[in-house]
Amino acid sequence: MPRHIELRVAGASPAGPGILRVTLRDPDGWPLPRVKPGAHLDLHVPGVGPRAYSLCGDPAVQDAWTVAVKREPESRGGSAWVHGLAPGDSVAASMPRCTFPLAEGAGRHVMIAGGIGVTPFLAMAPVLERAGADWTLHLLHRGALPCPADLAPFLKSGRAVAHDTAAQPRPALESLLGPHRPGLQAYCCGPTAMIESFERATATWPTGSARAEHFVPPVLPPDPDARPYTLVLAGSGASADVPAGGSMLVALRALGAKVEASCEGGICGACKLRWLEGVPVHRDRVLTPQERESHLMACVAGCASDRLVVEA
Amino acid sequence: MSASTGWNGVVSHLHITPRAFLPMRAQEAIELVAGEGIVGDRYRIGTETGFYSEKPEEGRQVTLFEAEVLEAILRDYKMEILPEEHRRNVTTRGVPVNHLVGQRFRLGDCVVEATRLSIPCRHIEEILGKPVFDPLVHRSGLNCKILEGGTLRIGDAIRPL
Repeated sequence: MPRHIELRVAGASPAGPGILRVTLRDPDGWPLPRVKPGAHLDLHVPGVGPRAYSLCGDPAVQDAWTVAVKREPESRGGSAWVHGLAPGDSVAASMPRCTFPLAEGAGRHVMIAGGIGVTPFLAMAPVLERAGADWTLHLLHRGALPCPADLAPFLKSGRAVAHDTAAQPRPALESLLGPHRPGLQAYCCGPTAMIESFERATATWPTGSARAEHFVPPVLPPDPDARPYTLVLAGSGASADVPAGGSMLVALRALGAKVEASCEGGICGACKLRWLEGVPVHRDRVLTPQERESHLMACVAGCASDRLVVEA
Repeated sequence: MSASTGWNGVVSHLHITPRAFLPMRAQEAIELVAGEGIVGDRYRIGTETGFYSEKPEEGRQVTLFEAEVLEAILRDYKMEILPEEHRRNVTTRGVPVNHLVGQRFRLGDCVVEATRLSIPCRHIEEILGKPVFDPLVHRSGLNCKILEGGTLRIGDAIRPL
């Protein structure tokens, strides 16, 4: 467990149609790592793998993280598992990541949410309020509201506007967003079709002035010359396709190779491997030119050939 | 002059955390247990729950970091790293940490032996959300094992044996 954050379910309660709101704490109530508004948390679903959920609690609350998860009929196992959680259950999580940040310096923020896609905006809202920012959240939903208690103060103040598409025509995103003007920042989180509409509506906006939450897995710092390659283990002959810029260490672990790793930044030397064929790209700061002729550091190395054979 | 003499340091801050990833919390005093670690800290041997606990090491019983390095990073990189952010247990002032590998010295009433220099890791960048890795290379602190335990307090002296 040490490579995960160990959490306990402190509360689990319904929060709208098919939605469970789950509060997670450290087992002893220790403060949790600081998070940015818009961040998401990977929960490790037993037998399924990591599943990302937006944190929807106020980031200023340091001893609890909250997610609100809708049970999806076509769930790959994640939402069904979340809906089975009860207070006291243990949950393993990865460090939250923020791929959907607030735009610092924007003069006005307009957010478009589709149903349960409201969750990242629930974390942003109190931050924007404390900052005295100008912001509006448009929530498109069908029937009962998602997370009604969290939304209530913002609906009351007029910061949030709910559009029930079961009771009224679906508003055009262009009309909700308005034309772009300097300082305006738009955000969207919702179903794929809504994100595509949002991207069409903002296609002519300046780069970076419209952000959508995609839940794209993180990648290594980009190497502009990185290329995909096939990684082969000399001992077993097992192989894996490593995408351009992908981590060799991740590929090795996926192949079941026991590789020591520590700093994962190319300086500690823990994940040193012998390579036998191919053209490794060394990005470490620990191997000498002579060592590089026979070894590489798996945490940062890439490959300039189609195939790389390593002793692992 | 040997590095083992001619210096006289002091405990500036004390921090522990019970588990990997969680924020370090400031303490007025910590309890060092010989051969094990710090009461309540993630790397105490026998109850390890730290990020690196899959690779046990006696030198993680107590870790040191120079306050002067934090000041140098602020000066040179314009980056503020707080004492609770470097994730070592004891923030020192006036101690030539990098000179002490292999040496024994007194930490308050306790005696420790430095086993190796600490190495920065990307894990700390993940936790802090700051690019601290490069600035910390070669000055990321000192790993020590505890030879004689006891209570260590802020303001305690750190001296050569």
